Amino acid sequence: MENYRIFDSELDKLAHKVIQMCSQVNQQIIDVVLALKTADLVIAKKVIINDEYINNLDVKIDKLCQKIFALQQPVASDLRYIISALKINNDLERIGDHAVSIAKRIEPLQDYLQLVEDLGIEVIGIKTTDLFSDVVELVKTHDLAFAEQIMSKAAELKDECKSVAATILTEMMQQSEVVVVAANILIITNLFERISGYSTNIAESITFVVNGEIVKHKKHIENN
Amino acid sequence: MILDKIDTKNMFLYYSGKMALNNISIQIPEKKVTAFIGPSGCGKSTFLRSLNRMNDLIDGVKIEGKVMIDSINIYDKNIDVVNLRKKVGMVFQKSNPFAKSIYENIAYGPKINGINNKHQLDEIVETALKNAAIWDEVKDRLGDSALGLSGGQQQRLCIARTLAVNPEIVLMDEPASALDPLSTAKIEELIVQLKELYTIVIVTHNMQQAARISDNTAFFYLGELIEYDKTRKIFTNPDKKQTEDYITGRFG
Repeated sequence: MENYRIFDSELDKLAHKVIQMCSQVNQQIIDVVLALKTADLVIAKKVIINDEYINNLDVKIDKLCQKIFALQQPVASDLRYIISALKINNDLERIGDHAVSIAKRIEPLQDYLQLVEDLGIEVIGIKTTDLFSDVVELVKTHDLAFAEQIMSKAAELKDECKSVAATILTEMMQQSEVVVVAANILIITNLFERISGYSTNIAESITFVVNGEIVKHKKHIENN
Repeated sequence: MILDKIDTKNMFLYYSGKMALNNISIQIPEKKVTAFIGPSGCGKSTFLRSLNRMNDLIDGVKIEGKVMIDSINIYDKNIDVVNLRKKVGMVFQKSNPFAKSIYENIAYGPKINGINNKHQLDEIVETALKNAAIWDEVKDRLGDSALGLSGGQQQRLCIARTLAVNPEIVLMDEPASALDPLSTAKIEELIVQLKELYTIVIVTHNMQQAARISDNTAFFYLGELIEYDKTRKIFTNPDKKQTEDYITGRFG
């Protein structure tokens, strides 16, 4: 026997906006990876412009969460969902910012597409796209199998980013003429690594929504 | 070390043969606030009243199992119920001061317990009113009728009256449900202060109140104890779906 509560519509609205935010950020990642691969400045520009939409959505979600906290005093799974929605929203907004940062660094790479490919950034980009499509599914379905998958894929991606960063540094030491462009690529690699970190955060937040378990820092805590 | 002040074991209660409490086993710790929540008719007030044998006053009530307070079964034949109710005081939903002065309301209990020394009574009255956080509001008019106090003040006076006989446990049956938010806040603050000295058990329909002031929360439904845990656990991640549905308002 379940009652429809007045604030269920607010929760539905919140869930809808979080998914909308997730889809927008997903599109930004797809676009920026494509722009990076082809050095397409038009697509890069589109990513930069679209960020405003994400920022607006970020504020709307924050306000809606504040409203629900203030007026409905949520508890139990409702409380966990709203706490997580705020955190996920924040992570998504940061990922959006990182997509913009990558987009802004594409122009100087126009004459170095081969180097971008050789250093493996393209592969990192594709893997980030793949990882984030799982994040979108997870946010839609709350299926913890995706959460596990994301945490493990993100850890792999993080390691790959580190390995690529090491290759870039070697390249920089060996070829002084590519130092400037390689430094740019290094920053892009770090941004992809950060996106993988935020994806892990989102998977942890959804785990908290589903079973109330705080899994963040767990490995770190267990190891110490 | 936290001791269990109250410990019920497999307790059943019947009203004229109809089961109202079904196999309740619960341990209530000393000097903590324990809240009972649940929908109307779930048995929470019945259970509260059975902790100082107030149900004895109702015809047709039959109780099985044990209700141990300080390891003594309060339903044993040799238990003095008057002494039990001194030890386990009670505050009701509707404040019920006597039509007497503020002073006499507090002094009444100690007097019938044989204390007649004026100086001693003065001390008891002052301490009880101070512990109930109403002394500053009434100290200059102790001779005035208690019925002239506001609802919130009357309820704190009733708490003071309960404290005056020096109980160890205070049972509260929706003590703030008829009060405005300011008076409610004062009662809640008072309850949190009182737990330093007393074991408090409170029945409330206001779940936010249970969340704010209690250390442990018990959820009752259809005469059964469904879940009992730390209040923080109950309100963030309860184990039972029925508890979750009730506290989130999904219960039909």
